[in-house]
Order: sequence, then structure tokens, then C-alpha cells
Amino acid sequence: MLALLLVHATAYVCAPLLVRYLGRHAFWLLALPSAGTAVWALANAPGDEPLTRSISWIPSIQLDITLHMDQLSWIMTLIISIIGALVLAFCAGYFHDDEPDLERFAAHLTAFAGVMLGLVWSDNLLLLYMFWELTTVLSYLLVGHHNDREESRQAASQALVVTTFGGLAMLAGMVLLGLEAGTYSLAAILANPPEPSAVVGWAIVLILVGAVSKSALVPFHFWLPGAMAAPTPVSAYLHAAAMVKAGVYLVARFSPGFGDRPEWLVTVLVLGCATMLIGGYRALRQHDLKLLLAYGTVSQLGFLIILFGTSTQAAGLAGLTMLVSHAIFKAALFLTVGAVDHAAGTRDLRYLHGLGRRMPWLMVASTLAGASMAGVPPLLGFVGKEAAYASLLHGEQWWSPIVLTVAVTGSILTFAYTARFLYGTWGPGTETTEPTPLHANPVVLTAVPVTLGAASLLLAPISQYGEPLVQDWLHTLPPIDHAVHLGLWHGFNVVLLLSAVTLLAGYLLFHGRTAIEMWQRAVPHPAPAVVIYRAIMQGLDRISLEVTGLLFKGSLQQSLSLILLVFVAFPGTALLLALIDVSGRDTVGLRWYENPAQLGVAVLTAIAAVAAVTSLRRFRAVFLVGFTGYALALLFLLHGAPDLALTQVLVETVSLVVFVLVLRRFSGHFPDKLETKERVWRITLGVLAGAVVTGTAIIASLSRTAAPDSTNMPRSAVEFGGGYNIVNVILVDIRAWDTMGEISVVLVAATGVASLIYLQSTNMRRLRGNLAEERRSRRQTRIDPGTTDDVGWLPALNTLPPTRRSLMLEVVARLLFHPIMLWSLYLLLTGHNAPGGGFAGGLVAGLGLTIRYLAGGPAELRAAMPVMPGVLLGSGLFLSAGAGLASMLAGGDVLQSWTFDIPVPLIGDVHLVTSTFFDIGVYLVVVGLMLDILRSLGSALDYRINAASGRQIEGDYEPMGERR
Amino acid sequence: MNFQYDHLVPLVVVLPLVGAGLTVVAGRHTLVQRLVSGTILASVVAISFVLLYAADQHRTLTVRVGGWPVDQGIVLVVDRLAALMLVVSTVVTFAVMLYSSGRGLSSDDEDEHDGGAPLPIFHPTLLVLSAGVSTTFVSGDLFHLYVGFEMLLFASFVLLTLGGTKERVRAGTNYVIVNLLSSIVFVTAIALVYAATGTVNLARLAVRIPELPESTQLVLQSMLLVGFLIKAAVFPMSAWLPDSYPTAPAPVTAVFAGLLTKVGVYSIIRMQTLLFPGDRLDNLLMVLAFLTMVVGILGAVAQADIKRLLSYTLVSHIGYMLFGVAVGNVAGLSAAIYYVVHHITIQTTLFLVTGLVELKRGTTSLTKLGGLAQTAPLISLLFFVPAMNLSGIPPLSGFIGKVGLLQAGAERGTPLAYLLIAGSVITSLLTLYAMSRVWSRAFWREPVEPLPGAQRSKLTLGVVLPTVMLVLFGLGLTAFGGPLYQITDRAAATLQERTGYMTAVIGQEGAP
Repeated sequence: MLALLLVHATAYVCAPLLVRYLGRHAFWLLALPSAGTAVWALANAPGDEPLTRSISWIPSIQLDITLHMDQLSWIMTLIISIIGALVLAFCAGYFHDDEPDLERFAAHLTAFAGVMLGLVWSDNLLLLYMFWELTTVLSYLLVGHHNDREESRQAASQALVVTTFGGLAMLAGMVLLGLEAGTYSLAAILANPPEPSAVVGWAIVLILVGAVSKSALVPFHFWLPGAMAAPTPVSAYLHAAAMVKAGVYLVARFSPGFGDRPEWLVTVLVLGCATMLIGGYRALRQHDLKLLLAYGTVSQLGFLIILFGTSTQAAGLAGLTMLVSHAIFKAALFLTVGAVDHAAGTRDLRYLHGLGRRMPWLMVASTLAGASMAGVPPLLGFVGKEAAYASLLHGEQWWSPIVLTVAVTGSILTFAYTARFLYGTWGPGTETTEPTPLHANPVVLTAVPVTLGAASLLLAPISQYGEPLVQDWLHTLPPIDHAVHLGLWHGFNVVLLLSAVTLLAGYLLFHGRTAIEMWQRAVPHPAPAVVIYRAIMQGLDRISLEVTGLLFKGSLQQSLSLILLVFVAFPGTALLLALIDVSGRDTVGLRWYENPAQLGVAVLTAIAAVAAVTSLRRFRAVFLVGFTGYALALLFLLHGAPDLALTQVLVETVSLVVFVLVLRRFSGHFPDKLETKERVWRITLGVLAGAVVTGTAIIASLSRTAAPDSTNMPRSAVEFGGGYNIVNVILVDIRAWDTMGEISVVLVAATGVASLIYLQSTNMRRLRGNLAEERRSRRQTRIDPGTTDDVGWLPALNTLPPTRRSLMLEVVARLLFHPIMLWSLYLLLTGHNAPGGGFAGGLVAGLGLTIRYLAGGPAELRAAMPVMPGVLLGSGLFLSAGAGLASMLAGGDVLQSWTFDIPVPLIGDVHLVTSTFFDIGVYLVVVGLMLDILRSLGSALDYRINAASGRQIEGDYEPMGERR
Repeated sequence: MNFQYDHLVPLVVVLPLVGAGLTVVAGRHTLVQRLVSGTILASVVAISFVLLYAADQHRTLTVRVGGWPVDQGIVLVVDRLAALMLVVSTVVTFAVMLYSSGRGLSSDDEDEHDGGAPLPIFHPTLLVLSAGVSTTFVSGDLFHLYVGFEMLLFASFVLLTLGGTKERVRAGTNYVIVNLLSSIVFVTAIALVYAATGTVNLARLAVRIPELPESTQLVLQSMLLVGFLIKAAVFPMSAWLPDSYPTAPAPVTAVFAGLLTKVGVYSIIRMQTLLFPGDRLDNLLMVLAFLTMVVGILGAVAQADIKRLLSYTLVSHIGYMLFGVAVGNVAGLSAAIYYVVHHITIQTTLFLVTGLVELKRGTTSLTKLGGLAQTAPLISLLFFVPAMNLSGIPPLSGFIGKVGLLQAGAERGTPLAYLLIAGSVITSLLTLYAMSRVWSRAFWREPVEPLPGAQRSKLTLGVVLPTVMLVLFGLGLTAFGGPLYQITDRAAATLQERTGYMTAVIGQEGAP
């Protein structure tokens, strides 16, 4: 069985190629897998031991490939493979070589044949679902074959949504059932169904929803007529013979285990009966032959579901017979319509005139098939219908007579619309008296319907010999007292009477067809399912728009408000609970401050913070924020951490410089004046969030039980890290891994700034060119000092306009720059034992550069550091991360450090810790960042500002082609 | 030195950082950048696979950085979950890097560098992003987790604002402010955790947190959770994501969609299982998961642009993963992990394919596209497979993960769990509906003329091949679904029992 599936899969993959080279004739080859399957199935009729093949796939979710063919599957296999082969052969005559998308169409149709086989062979519920959904997807693609037409796309998506809805319900049902039954094997579940319970009840209903939607039962029936937008072979195969039978198959499959449960019977019988009647009724007024047949299919599917749903041996036998006969006659009829459409160019029965004489074979074939559908003796449909009547007539349930009545009524309707179909196709047209023009059809378009029509006739007399072939499966169903058998003649009995009534009443209905059509048009539509569906989909679209508009406004305020709300509501609630919890306990552990000065600093910080938020001027706000930063440094100092304080002061200073550089491009005031309501809201939220943070801080501090990890650090910093400055040891050794991450953040931030300011390569190239020029002129100066016209305090002074020069600053810069750089190196190298380190050192060097820039402008900055910031940043990160690699190569752990004391003449022992290399990397990255900031936010902005005010200044920045 | 698998762990972070340094220096030489970036990411992929093998077959790997004792230094830990995350994230990053290089190669505009960036900063930034993502996965330290978050946040900010157009700068500003807020919440939470327990080492926290009063645990848990939920874009804190992602260049959005939110999900999984075992907040998480799924997918249905639509499906499907975590049993965790793996791959793939559509047509708007199935059959196939996968059509991996989640929900069997089952099924349906709309509008219909801005030349192998590679990787998640799901089962089991992680880091005495 697996091999057959693989053959289909191969055919699927090869199909596009075959079509490309052979055109429509490729379908002959593509029919072979199906034909082969048919032959195989005929040779391997299963006995009471079903064929089984199992492969493990995903055991964790109990999804395995267990294929299994019992007699029910066997019948389905025959239908799928034989009709499949015939339909594919039909396609070879139906399509033209220039049909667009034929390659994909052929592939999908071939794949469908294989997938459908997989569906009826699956023993594992999840595997069954897999094939189930694949048929849905293939149906979607096939219905949408003419996808340049709006209606095709609509129909495809409608079928997809409806059947997937059912499919997903079914999946949920299967998962529930699998859990309750403890297995996903169909055979095991049916052999030992789980005890009735609410969950099992839901599972059954959900699975039935899947079956009902797939088999186009009310209220999902509307997708099937819509799907007639597909090419006719698809309608014949998927939407009449095979795919829509999947739901019927599922009901049949589950009926032995669950057919007696009330939720089963209610669902199946109510929906089945309603569908049978509504489908038949609607078929009576269709003009499009395909639509007429589609509604007929809906009606017949209802009938099949009723039969299998009643779950008795007799009804099961009738159901199987009807299943086979329906597949045969409906395929024949659809293919007839396809052939007629192909020849006449229309399939509207009002415009078809005088076809019978010119297409006699087709007429005979379709009449046979139609008669079978209408239940006329001596055809297979009649055999099935008799068996169905008999099984219901002798049913032992209180509802059996009602269902029988429905079945008879439905069959009357069936006769009527069949007659209408045949008369409409072959009889005179109502809208035209001219014979419809025809062009010649390939033989296969006639041969296939004729084969099927003949089968409807020939199978009837031998039907009783088929009974033993399905006996074993039937015996899994409960018997009824009266034995029902297949056959054309059972003597004069009530069933025969019912058949006669059906034929007679059906004929009368057909006779009065014009009146009925008029009447149907006059009364309002009784089943507006499609209207409801459209309303739901429109409602969905509207709701989705509204919800999205409401919740995803794309406004920052809203995002932040929601986040803060959650923050206040969720940790806030937790905090309240904790406070209640704590209030009973001793709170001695809480110290508000260790030193009154801390309290003073905290109060000042708070005032500055509030002032910063309420400030209307940007500069003021920035300085107030800076104040909070410096105050924090003071807190560090009071806590006895001069090193942290130093770093904090440096960071704060650099931040202020950056802010000031950027603020040059902004107006002095914040632009937005807030409404009072908005303001109150923001204040409330802010205060609440702040309160939550404060409260949680108190709670957390109160809960401490264990000694913090930092207790041992001062000691091990010396012993293991070789340094007395614990902060630096933490940064470059204990938590060097953190630092490495953070300097990569610095690198990225620097490139980000450059990316946002320079925007384009041309600007970078310009900068690079200027720097190269600078280096060249320097070399020149070194070779020949006489040529320089360097007469000012600073080397590159002459580019600034005189108004912006400040002698004071120039002098300061001249005097301070080199000491500052030296100091930064000192900080870097001594950092391990004294306050400092690479980070602080880098910041100091950056401040040195800042002074040069402020005093002398962009050119001066170039003179001070004629390299691209990227070079510093990149090599710094390379050095730091590389230090990690090197330590691993040296046989230690990543970023492990070693201490050496190297004797140097005159100075004495130099204490060298390998982590210094790491720190140099940090230093380089920080200097690189500072340079990058000064270049982008300083020099480049200078240029823009000057350009805006009409002044010209030599710069590194070219605003041309700015992307805005 | 005897080789141990543990020695490989730091490399997944160090190598990309070394590479980032090199590629910044080599800014002018695109070829060097590509070589460095490609070699390094390829080796990281290989290392990740080895790590997965080692963590799954041998034991949880640990590294004490710098050889410092556990109570002082940083510990890196790779268990099955971390290794699995590493594998997927590096594969995806590698594919995106190849794609971007391919796009740079085929670009008509000589000023356009790899990744559609006007400056040669794509490679270093992507490498830092990769290092950041790996950092979060291997970190055994709460504060270090934060460092990882910062790395990927800043890298993503730079990538988001490439080219500095008005739209991108606006989106980037919103993005960075929201994410900084989440970082503030997170870092505050870390401070609180340290205040209460005196440590930030995850394994030691796993010992100490349960010793705290129940109410304090709740405070800490809720604070951490809020930080992670923002990162993971869980409703109602998800609005920032679809607002910012779609504006970036397609490969950038692809890597964001694949990785960034998943880092949040990963952190939630880690935190819920290791630090706060028990079902304290499960019900709340279930409600959030439900809302995230449903509200997100409604957003997708409302979109008329492929990139935006995909951003909403991204948000929505975060709900699936949260579902698995919230349900809390081993089946749920395993399904959630499997789903994360699936979703990283698929969502990235879809964005890459959307990038192909954009290259070919100059737009991703559904109203301006049409007929791609006829004019671009390869792109259609490349889109259709992952689109069906995302919609959970069997036998693709989205289906497998979904079934796992449904089973876990059914096993839990509470009313909220049933609600989640219903919600995930509806979401699945609506995802399919949204995808079928894309298909029906962009790939069906009459072909339309490409808009200006489309590349006239044929798509080169450089962009197609990485996409194909990812599509195949996605299919591999199905083909090798059995073994993969067994790994996630084992991963979930080790998460649930906790002791494996703790003993690996702190030795026997740490186990309760």
C-alpha cells in the first residue's frame, strides 16, 4: 500500500514534466497509478483480516503511518482508483494543450488520487486527518484553476474555509477522543470504544462536524455548488465520486463504535434528512447542468449519511451499494456534462437543443446513469434504493418511519430532478429552437461516460454476489431482525410499493416542472446558509479591522500606556498581596538609609527627576537628567565605591556632551502641548508605576535570607583575579563575559549612529578621503617640517569661522589634550588595582578628543585622530573577544586570566595581568565610540547646520541625495 | 587540554563577536566581510549541531567563564533546550546572511551594500545580533541574559533603521523606546531578585527562590514575566511589533521575526520551569495566550500588505508557544519547544520569500500584486509550502506542533485549557484564511506589471538558494519530526524535573 502511495507521489512530482513534453496526452500516463491501484485492489479483496502496514513516524504525538485496508476501505479504494483512472483518461480528451496552468492542474489531480487513497487507508486518526486536510488543499487549488475569474477564487476560498473549519473541529475531536481512548488507532478505538462521557460526547460531535462539512451537509452544503467553478473532471472526481465521500466514509467508519450514542444519532439523522430534502428541492430549479447535479449530490450525500448513520447491518449494506452506485452514476453524469460542454460550449439546459441525435452514445450512457440515480429498475441505483427502503422499513427505532418518509420524499425529488436533467440535456431547449452548434469530441469523452453508464446497468444483476465481499465489515454493525439482501426482485412487498410510489410521484413532479420552477422563484429562499456564511466572513473582516484599529493603533503612547497598565495591574497586584503578607511580619530588617547624606541626595535626585519631566525646555530637561546622574555618582561615593562614581561621572559627562551636540538641531522647547486629560493620565500612570517599583524594592529587600554573592568577591579578586580594584576585576575578569557583550553593544550603537547620520556611502567615502589626506599631509610634515604653515595653538585651526573661535579654548585644548590622553592610558593600565580601567580610560580619552573638537572643529578632530572610528571599534572588539579565544587556546577557560610579574630594569617588577589585553580592547572600543559620536553628531551635524543657515564650511559630510 | 564538548560553548558567542570586529575594520572590502561573516556563521551552525548532539546524548554542558567559582562568575549552560534554540537560530541567521549577500551581489545599485544597507554595516550588526541571541540561550545567569537582550536590541535597532528613511526612523524610535522600557522592567526585576536572594546565577536562584515567602516569589515572578512578555510581544503588549517590523528591509524583518520574540519566549520557558516551578500563574498565562492568538490573527486578516500580515501572524502564533508553556505539563512544554523551532524557521522563510516578491515586483501590497503563480512559479512554490506550514496544514511541522499543543491542552483538561484548544483551532483557521487571501490576491488573478523599483534582472541564485535551503530545512522538521520531537520531549522532561540543570551547574549539594 505504501508503495502505491509512493507511486502516486512520484507521478505527482513528474506530472508537470510529463505535461510539458506530452501535452494533454500526459494524462494517459498519469492515469496509470490509479489503474494499477484498481488492479491491485481487485486482486487483493480483504477477508476478515484487514491488510495492515505500519511505520513509526512521530511517536511523541502518536502519529504513525499505519495503513490498513478492511472491506469498507476496499470499496472506497475501488471507487477512488477506478473513477480516478477514468477521469484522468477523460482529461486527456477534455483539455487542450494550450490550457493555462495545465501542468499544475495535472499534478494536483494525480496527487489527489493518491491522497484520497491514503485517507481511506489510514488507521491512525492523525494520519487520517493529514490526508483529509491535503484533500482540502488540493481541492482549493483545483477549484481555483481558473484563477483569473473572481468567482473561481471566491468559490475556492469558500470551500477551503468551510471544509477546513470542519476539519479543525474534527482534529480537536480526534485529539479528545485519542486522549479518552488512550490510542489513536481507529481499529483499536472501534474495537474498544471509550465509555460515554461529556468529553467523548463532544469529541463525537466535533468529528461529525468535520464529516458533515466535508460531505457538504446542511448547514455547510453551499460550498459544493460553489465548487462547480472547477473544471468538470474535478467536479466529477472530487465533488461527486471521491472527496465528498470522505465525510460519508468517516461516518461509516465510526458507526460501529459510536452509532448508538444519542449525540451521534441526533447530529447525523437531523442533518442528513435536512440535507437530502433541501438538496433535492434546490436541484429542481437549476438551469446550469453542473449546478443541478451538484445539488443532486448534496441530496444524495444526505441520503448516504442517513444510511450509514443509522448503523445497522441492513442500512450499512444499502449504504455501500448506494455509495458505489452514486460514484458511478454521478461521475458518468458529470463527465457527460463535461463532454456536452466541450462540444457545445454551454451547459445551460435552456440553450441545449437537439443534441440527442448527434450524440447518441452519450445520451444512452447518461440515460442509464440517470435512471440509476433516479432508482429505476433494473439499474444499480434501484438495487441500492430498494435495500435502503427495506432497511429503514424494518428499522426498530421510533424514528425509523420518519427517516423512511424523508428517504422516500428525497428519492421522489431525485427522480424529478434526474428527469429534468435528462430532458434538459437531450430534449428541446426552452430558449432556443435552433440545434445547438457542436464541434467534434475526442472519442474518450464519450467512451468514459459510456463505460460508467454500462457499469450502472451491468452491476445491478450481479450485485448480490458482492455481498460476501463486505460481510465481515457489516458484521461489526448491529443486526436488525429482518435480513436485507441485494437484488433486483424481492417479490411484491411494501418496498416495491414504495419504489413505485417514488417513480410515480417523481414523474408527476417532473411533469409539473414549470409550475414548480415558478413557485420556487416566488417563495423566498428557504436556506440562506450561504448568506449567513457571507455575513460571518464580512463580520469577521469588519471585526478584525475594528479590533486592529483599536488595539494596534501604531501609536507609541498607546503601546507604552498598555505596557505600564499591565505593569501596574500585574506586578502591582502581586505587590499588594505581598504587602498584606508582610504587614503581619517583623519589618526590622528594613533600613531606610545608612547615612543621612544618602537621604539628602535621594531627595534632591527625586526633585530633579520631577523637574526634568515637567520641564518645557529641552536643555533644562537634559541638564536635570544629568543632575540625577551626578547625584547617583554621589550615592556611589557615599557607599564607598569611588570607582563606580568616577565611571558614572564620566558617563554622565559624555552623555551631556552628546545631548548638547544633538540638541543643536532641535528647537529649545518641547513641541507638544498636552491636553489636561492626557497629562493627568500620564502622571497617574507614572506615579503608580513608580510606586510599584518602590514597593517591590522594599518587599525584595525585606525577603533576603542568604548572603549575597558579592561577599567573597574582594578576597577572590586579589587571590584569583590579581587586582585590588574589585570593580575593575569584576568588569574585566569575573564578569568579563558581560563586558564583552556590552562592548559589542557599544560597537553596534556607534555604527548605528553613523548609519543614521551618514546615511550613504558617498559620505563615508568623503570622510575617508579627508582622513587619508590628513595622514598624507602629516607624513609630509614629518619629512619636511619647513612646509607647514602651522602657526596657531592647534594644528588645523584655520577652517573655523573667526566668530566661532575662542582663544581660551584653544589654549586649554593645547595644554590639556596630551595630559588627558596620558591620564587615560594611566587609568587603563593601573585600573586593575586603583580606580580606573579601560572603560573609564576610554571615556577620558574621548573627553580629550571632545575638547579638541570643540576648540577646532571637524578639521581639528581629524588632525587629532586621523582614523576611521570603525577601525578602533572593530579592532577593540576583536581584541577583547579574541582574548577570550586566546585564553581557550592557551588551555584555560574562556576569558581566563593569568598574572605575571615581569622584571623590568630601572622600574622594578611590572605586574601584568593578561586581562589587561581585554581591557585594552574595551578602551579602544570606547575611544572609537567617542570618535564616532563626535564625527557624526558633531562634524556631520555642523555641516547640516551650516548648510541650513547658508554658511559654507569644509566638512566630511555631503548632504546630496539624502534619503528622506 | 582534553577536549570536552563544554569547550565549544563560548564559541557561539565569541566567534561572531570576533567576526563583528573584523568586519567593521574591513568595512571597505565587501568580499572580506562576506567571507568572514559566512565562515563564522557556518562554523557556528556546525558547532551548534555538535552542542545539540552533546547536550542530548551526553549531559548538560557548563562553562565557568574565566574559571571563576559559580557563586561569583558567570556560568554558561547548554542543555537540550538551549542547544536546540542555538541550532535553529544559527541556521536561520546563516540563511539570512547568505540571502543578504546574494541580494547585495545582484544589486543594480553600487551604493547598496549587503542587507540592503547603504553603508557596509550589515554584517557586523548581524553578527552582534547573532552573538546576542546565542548569549541569551547559553546564559546561566540572569544578568547576563540581560546583556544578551541589550546586544540584540541594539543590533536590531540599527538594522531596523538602515537607510534612515522617515518611516524607518519613526518605527525604530517606537521600537527602541518600547524595548528600553521592557529592559528597564527587566533590569529592575534583576535588582529585586538580587536584593531578595543575593545571586543572579540561575541554578542558584532555582534553589533560593523557593525559600522565599510565597508572596515575594509572586512579586519577582510577575516583574520578570512582564519584561519577557513585552519582548515576546504578548497581548496586550504586542502593539509595537507589527508597527515596527514591516518597515525594515525584508531580510532584516526575516531575522527579527524568526529570532527576537522567540528570545522572550525562551526566557519565559526557562524562568517558568527553572525559577518558578508550579502552576502559580498558569491561568493568567493561558488567558494571555488565548488573547494573543485571537487578537493577533484578527490583525492579520485585516491587512492588505504581505509583510504587515506576516507580522501579525507572528504575534498571533506567539500565543501558541505561550499556550504550551501555560499548560505546564511535559507535553505542553515539549510542544511549545517544537513550535518555537518550527515557527522560527517558517516565519523567517516567509519573510525571505516576501523579499523575493519585493525584488521581483517592487511591492508587497496585495492590491498591487497579482498573477505571480503564472509569472513566478518558483516563488509561488517557495511561498506556498511555508504558508501552508504556518497554517498548520499536515503533514508540515506547523501541524505537528499544533497537534502536540492540542494534546497537551486536552491532557490538562481544565475549562481554560479547552478554551485554548478552541482558540488555537480558530487561529489556525484564520491563519489559513489570511494565507489563502495572500495566495488568491498576489499569486492568482491576472498578472500585473511590476512596479518601478523592481529588479528587472532575473532573481539570482544568491537569493533563491538560501530561501530554498530554509524551505527545505522547514520540511526537514517534518521529515525528521520523530527524532526531533523526541529531543523536545526529553528537553521538556529535563526542564520539568529541574535537578539536571541545577546539579550540572552547582554540583550535587545544590539539588533539593
